Amino acid sequence: MKPYQLTTVGDQAISIEFPNEINPEINLRLQALAKIITADKVVGVQAVIPAYHTLLVTFDAMRTTPRKLKQQLDSIIADQLAAPLPPKRTLIIPVCYEDPYGPDLSDVADYAGISTDEVIKRHTGKSYLIYFLGFLPGFAYMASVDDQIAMPRLSKPRVKIPAGSVGIAGIQTGFYPVTSPGGWRLIGKTPLTLYQPDNPEPFYHAGDEIKFEAIDKETFDVIKQADELGHYHVKVVTENA
Amino acid sequence: MHNLSVIQPGLQTTIQDLGRVSHQIDGFPVSGSMDQASHRLANLLVGNRGQTACLEFALTGPTLVFRVATFIAITGGQFSPTLNGKPIPENEAIRIHENDELAIGSANAGRYGYLAIKGGIQVPEVMASRSTTLRIGIGGFNGRALQAGDQLPISPQETLQSFGHRRVNQAFLESFRDPQAMLQNPLVIRILKGPQWSLFSKSDQRLLQHQQYQLTSEADRMGYRLAGKPLTTNLKSLLSEATVFGGIQITSNGQPIVLLADRQTTGGYPVIATILTADIGKIVQCQNHQLIQFQLTNLKTAEDELQKQTELLQRLKAEFIEQRYQAPIGINRSAAQRIRGLFEGGFSKG
Repeated sequence: MKPYQLTTVGDQAISIEFPNEINPEINLRLQALAKIITADKVVGVQAVIPAYHTLLVTFDAMRTTPRKLKQQLDSIIADQLAAPLPPKRTLIIPVCYEDPYGPDLSDVADYAGISTDEVIKRHTGKSYLIYFLGFLPGFAYMASVDDQIAMPRLSKPRVKIPAGSVGIAGIQTGFYPVTSPGGWRLIGKTPLTLYQPDNPEPFYHAGDEIKFEAIDKETFDVIKQADELGHYHVKVVTENA
Repeated sequence: MHNLSVIQPGLQTTIQDLGRVSHQIDGFPVSGSMDQASHRLANLLVGNRGQTACLEFALTGPTLVFRVATFIAITGGQFSPTLNGKPIPENEAIRIHENDELAIGSANAGRYGYLAIKGGIQVPEVMASRSTTLRIGIGGFNGRALQAGDQLPISPQETLQSFGHRRVNQAFLESFRDPQAMLQNPLVIRILKGPQWSLFSKSDQRLLQHQQYQLTSEADRMGYRLAGKPLTTNLKSLLSEATVFGGIQITSNGQPIVLLADRQTTGGYPVIATILTADIGKIVQCQNHQLIQFQLTNLKTAEDELQKQTELLQRLKAEFIEQRYQAPIGINRSAAQRIRGLFEGGFSKG
């Protein structure tokens, strides 16, 4: 039996649905499929939009039919499932966890029953997969943080969270690309500009991994200045999955 | 080359094409015109490609002064446009002379109107689209709705092939989208079962189809909130999935939201149904308090209806091409026509 289903959504989209769970392996398959479907320029396909366990493929109904597209997708997916996962790309994002950048850091430490240093160590100790981007442009849904520091959201969201803030919401972690309201527990801030309206395409994409690197306040200021001048280059590590 | 001056901006006038389709993967809303069929028709009437950027206006349109000669067409809702104070028709190509003032006026029926200008509006593309996404301030004119004093770049256009033939008649409009539909109450909107249809109880599935919903005042480019007897199925929160244009989400209070052009790219509410692409323009054009009745149909009907709409546009385009060398205005007579225009003033047709 196929490990996925193809479902027509409306009259101009097909959803590739894998089992209903947050699973990095499933998601990486979806990301690889998204790349292949885009690169293959399948006739009539307009866009691919990944989420946790689904990949929506939208098409122009004047150029293809759901039946034809489903056949093409079946064959692309069969090939992809038989292949190894493509190499992993990990981006190293500097984060300052010092005051005043991490207003909730001590709460997370209390919640976990460990020191703030230990929270930082756990948060920087692993890399996180970007499952998809949504909510806001460049807002990355990343998981999974260490269970012990997986503190639930604030019961009352903040009205204004500064751009660059790094937070935790249950097993999810992420950063706010623009200033916005939100309920995540803020534990630090990156000096990098994550969203530029005049050059809005983010430098990270669904399927990338993010690893946070702790920096002190002085380094924060140095990187911020360099980044604003366009001189800072995010470290990228590529390795086979 | 700032050649179109905004005198009054109207309620919410934005530059839109058919959307920033390929960047949803990075979380960018598609945006683009709410009523894409009307957008395509407007462009076709002035000889543009379907995706060319137009002005979209809502309920009250802008007043504009053209600093160059060109051709325009207005489609969508029924507004009361005037050129230099004289009424002009919608759904046909109109010649514009230097310094002509176009006032779109207010909607008598419908909600969104489209102004196509030959050659399009030449604001820069942002990620392969000129569409404005107001919520994040990108695209279009500085990422925002037009304001008085704005100057938009358009190019001078002296000729338009088959100019005198570029109009559609009532029969075309009725088959393209019955204008009487805007007066229907309740308005019938056809739907397909959505990805989470089967998670709803039988009685909720029936309720969705058999009750009349009312469009609330919470209606914007992101979505239209409808009000009716709430559905009762209480679903646990779902993992977020990608959204589609015309998806009908049921929120936690049991009421539907129809997802439209500026929708978020992903959402966690269950999608009980989706509106036929061919019917999206119809619901988009509803004014507040309009009654809506959903009618469940099948994929075959959805495909046929979309194809019918597309074929009507293709046939119209072919007719315009055929009429290229026919009276009253052939391509070689544009100079003669311009001279006549000088005598007749702004509102001259062949």
